[in-house]
Amino acid sequence: MAKAYANPDVLVSTEWVAEHHQDPSVRIVESDEDVLLYQQGHVPGAVMIDWHTDLQDQVVRDYIDKERFARLCSSKGIANDTTVVFYGDKNNWWACYAFWVFKLYGHAECRIMNGGRKRWEADGREWSREPEPQYPATSYVAAEPDPSLRAFQAEVLKHQNKGKPLVDVRSPGEYTGELLHMPDYPQEGALRGGHIPGAISIPWSRSVNDDGTFKSARDLEKIYVREAGLKRRSPIVAYCRIGERSSHTWFVLHYLLGFPKVKNYDGSWTEWGNTVGVPIEKGPGGTASAEASS
Amino acid sequence: MSGQLTQRIDDLAAEFAELEPRERLELLLEFSEKLPPLPPEFAEQRDQQLGRVQECQTPVYLWTDLVDGRVRIVADVAPEAPTVKGFVSILVELFSGVSPDEVLTAPGDLVQRFGLVDALGMVRMRGLQAIAHHIRRKVAAQMST
Repeated sequence: MAKAYANPDVLVSTEWVAEHHQDPSVRIVESDEDVLLYQQGHVPGAVMIDWHTDLQDQVVRDYIDKERFARLCSSKGIANDTTVVFYGDKNNWWACYAFWVFKLYGHAECRIMNGGRKRWEADGREWSREPEPQYPATSYVAAEPDPSLRAFQAEVLKHQNKGKPLVDVRSPGEYTGELLHMPDYPQEGALRGGHIPGAISIPWSRSVNDDGTFKSARDLEKIYVREAGLKRRSPIVAYCRIGERSSHTWFVLHYLLGFPKVKNYDGSWTEWGNTVGVPIEKGPGGTASAEASS
Repeated sequence: MSGQLTQRIDDLAAEFAELEPRERLELLLEFSEKLPPLPPEFAEQRDQQLGRVQECQTPVYLWTDLVDGRVRIVADVAPEAPTVKGFVSILVELFSGVSPDEVLTAPGDLVQRFGLVDALGMVRMRGLQAIAHHIRRKVAAQMST
């Protein structure tokens, strides 16, 4: 039974951030669902990277390519050896998403500020309303996207066919197919409801405490290993609706619990539930052992 | 048609048009800060989840009624969602005191008219449009009662 996170250094506290926000080897990055929050108040010295307008291609449904990723990092004063600390709203959903994109392009030192905006506020720390700071440009060089982090649909189909573990991190109503979208997000729906057959339901929110921080290693292990039956060495694919909640679970499984082979299927339900001919299961499905057939 | 609402929309669109995309977000933030606080008589309803806009991302509460044949809107949005709050504040300012007919025939592309699509992105835009539709539906329901 794990008593500590597999990679405890990947989480930093609000206190650490308050002490290091002027450290030139550190860049604090805010990534939010609500694009105005940064202007409403941000961690002093932090830059903003928007999941939608900065990290996604605005024409093709994909991330920016590695050249644009390098330009983005340079424009935010992030060098290849900068320690980048992400934080944001909604229990760090988008912070985890940005973290995942940075890992996709091979950025070495990434951290999450545990608890995000919620905890910074609760700790009574200072919010800045200064315009986004301009840091000197860097000569950032991005790596090719790391295929070990990202699952595409064809691969997920094979994975599903072989009965390998899939984790559906959406809300229970989305999993069973009663809802075609997250309760409050009708604009991101799909034509069909349900889940990928064989996927187990572990809503992402089970991994966080009320104050926005991650649950302890012991509690996480109880949820993902003892209750859900996930095996540490299995190849696991996590998905949600557009890949942001599943990047949160990817972070939990890979970095906090130390599972070596976890991929985020960012196409997620808005791809699967709109695809002609792929298998879909409705109803409560399996919630216990994901490994029953392997 | 040159109604009061059309004029207000055109004026605000012109104001947004003069701004850089980044400054448009600042104006939206200003709107979010000037949404009037929820009158106490509505707080209880909100706490019972009445008036909740089900289509919307964040908890948004809206009440519409007609006072002397003019639209009145009361709204409450959490400060953690300033984009939504700012847009609701714009809608309250635009729609308050105009005739219900004008609200029903208001253009459906306000987010585009104010030049906010590039700043917000398509996904967020649809959520905001849902709020404007919600107001129209409520006003339409009140006209028929």
